[in-house]
Amino acid sequence: MSRGVFFFGMWCLLVTSSFAYASFTGYSPFADGQRASTARGPGGVFIGRGPRHK
Amino acid sequence: MPPEPPPEDDRPNPWGNAAETQTAGPTAKRTVVPSESDSAPAAEQFNCPNCGGSIEIKAAGLSVSIACEYCGSTLDVTNPDVSIIQRYEGEVRKLELPLGSRGMLRGTEWEVIGYQRRSENGRYPWDEYLLFNPYAGYRFLDTDGRGWSFGEQLTASPDKQSLVGFTLNGEFFQPFYAQTRAQVDYVLGEFYWRVAVGEEVLTADFVRPGKMLSWEHSGNETVWSLSELLEPNEITDAFGIPPAKGGGLPLPHQPSPHRKKAGQFMKLALAVAFALIVITSLFGGTSDPQTAQINLSTNGVEQSAKVGPIILDRARQAVTVSARAPGIENSWIDLTYSLTNRDTGEVFEANNVVDAYSGRDAEGNWSEGSRYSSSKFSMIPSGTYELNVYAAGSRWTEGQYGSSSNAQLEVTIEKGATFYSNLFLALLFVFVPAIWQWWKHLSFESRRRSDSDFTGDDDD
Amino acid sequence: MIFRSPALPARICDYCQATVKRIADGVELAGEVAVLPFDVSPIQIGTRGEYGGKPFDVIGRIRLGYDQGAWNDWLCLFSDMTHGWLSESDGQFQMVIERPIAETNSDLIQHLAQGGDAAIGDRTIIDGSEFTVSDMRSAKCIAAEGELPFAPSTGWDVFNVDMRDEQGFSANFEREEGEDSGFYVGRYVTLAELKPHNLRAIHGWKMPDYAA
Repeated sequence: MSRGVFFFGMWCLLVTSSFAYASFTGYSPFADGQRASTARGPGGVFIGRGPRHK
Repeated sequence: MPPEPPPEDDRPNPWGNAAETQTAGPTAKRTVVPSESDSAPAAEQFNCPNCGGSIEIKAAGLSVSIACEYCGSTLDVTNPDVSIIQRYEGEVRKLELPLGSRGMLRGTEWEVIGYQRRSENGRYPWDEYLLFNPYAGYRFLDTDGRGWSFGEQLTASPDKQSLVGFTLNGEFFQPFYAQTRAQVDYVLGEFYWRVAVGEEVLTADFVRPGKMLSWEHSGNETVWSLSELLEPNEITDAFGIPPAKGGGLPLPHQPSPHRKKAGQFMKLALAVAFALIVITSLFGGTSDPQTAQINLSTNGVEQSAKVGPIILDRARQAVTVSARAPGIENSWIDLTYSLTNRDTGEVFEANNVVDAYSGRDAEGNWSEGSRYSSSKFSMIPSGTYELNVYAAGSRWTEGQYGSSSNAQLEVTIEKGATFYSNLFLALLFVFVPAIWQWWKHLSFESRRRSDSDFTGDDDD
Repeated sequence: MIFRSPALPARICDYCQATVKRIADGVELAGEVAVLPFDVSPIQIGTRGEYGGKPFDVIGRIRLGYDQGAWNDWLCLFSDMTHGWLSESDGQFQMVIERPIAETNSDLIQHLAQGGDAAIGDRTIIDGSEFTVSDMRSAKCIAAEGELPFAPSTGWDVFNVDMRDEQGFSANFEREEGEDSGFYVGRYVTLAELKPHNLRAIHGWKMPDYAA
């Protein structure tokens, strides 16, 4: 096994374990809901409403 | 039968006119070099009839012509007396791999006894060395500066595979170089055939990783040979000369240094992808839905509802809140969710919207929006929670069609969430390096094949 | 001098290079044979080997010269008293065994036997496989040693046609004036696969492991 494959294997392990942790604890950087005190999230302030279509 | 006269050539060349020297020139006698042990002698010796230099015949009985290493003249050694075929007036070259060098290659010892420089009409020159071992016969070493190949003449011919290539011993060879004229530019040392500077043959080459199958044809004779690309250290270990400098395009039969790695990376990436999908199906998904209904008027007035209690037992987990308003038309509902821990008072918030718009324009009917939306809360600590839903409906009055005046909103809260975005991100992290390795491999192969006559691309 | 094989009519007297033909009760001097030119062949009289499962002894050799060089034909006596020829040319070996021409279906061979010509590239079927003419040479016997099935003197000419198929099998046709034509079939062999013993030891070169 070459050095490159070894490091990629370690990287894969990191990604997989992080993913497993995130799945187990329900973490996602794309989540909508956050603590109210630092409330920001992508579901923030919407300016105006209406279709984008002309 | 008299030896054939050398080919006509009106280039000025340092090789004298052979016709003058064939019949009447000086000759030399050969003597066997006595063996220093009780083994049979290994060589014959004579003095070059042109320059007097002392030459040893290593492949005695087999060699047919010798180009004197001191003066470059070609000599005929088929008769007991050595005669001159062609005198040479130019400078004798110093070889990268000197004649007489001995070395061990692939388990057998070889002596370098002959050298040719060949080219395609003067372009793309390459060096060919003839190696000899009396028990093993002949081999050759080829180099064009990029690497060394070790080869031999075949006694069986390869099988033709319908114009696309040849198979030898079950291995398939792709065509690489189409039939080309190759000429001999310079010779030194012993050969088992009559070498002649300027002599032309037709050649074609077929490749597979690490090997080249070569075809040579001249007059009536066809010869196949098979050569293998040596590792740089093999030539150094055998003969002590520095390895080829390399550079330029990869050799036609150079194996891709990236293929193995790319394959391993891809296999790992696929294994990880499988694991990620398994994890997602194990820990993803939602459960225990609870629903509330709100009837709204689309007048901008906020209404609220409570859903709960929701008991979260894991230390941390996701929560999905989804909203559905199937009947709205040309209106929207602003939603605010407040997830409050009854015991600690911690609040988690999210905003969302459900909407539906439609109209008509020059191209026909159009519609936009989504009557369904979901918000995913991340890493909510365990505890007992209650969800407060604040909804305000509004109308969009600029459309051609009417808008609903009221709406029925259904809000559902579930434990857990499936974050496809996580999965996508993780797959990206894992496949990007693998694809990068694969791209390096493809890029190498593209460069390697760019010199082939069979790429199918338009060339100059 | 001792004749090793009871069937062979001639033996070259090592001492004086004169061929001695064996006649029923006595021997008759048949003619001088040229001294063998020096070569570094690994085979020598007395080399033993194995082909087709049968052991053999190398008992004789003729050397044939032509315009592009020369080659050796070594006479191999098998343990069942049949014989074959180990042809050594440019470092490549073929073991071929004589066949009666009358038994061959090949039109090309029959044509050659009747004095006809052939061209390189001509094809014919031998033993069910397609053979192509790869070489044609007019050669002259320039030297001989050991025991041989004829009484050679130097200077006799032979017209030799070499054929090969795609699997490494080979065939030879030989035509000599005043003699019956010969037809031989066999295949290319490596020295190692003949499991040789008593190869010639050549100064400065290590005897290969397979021949130890």
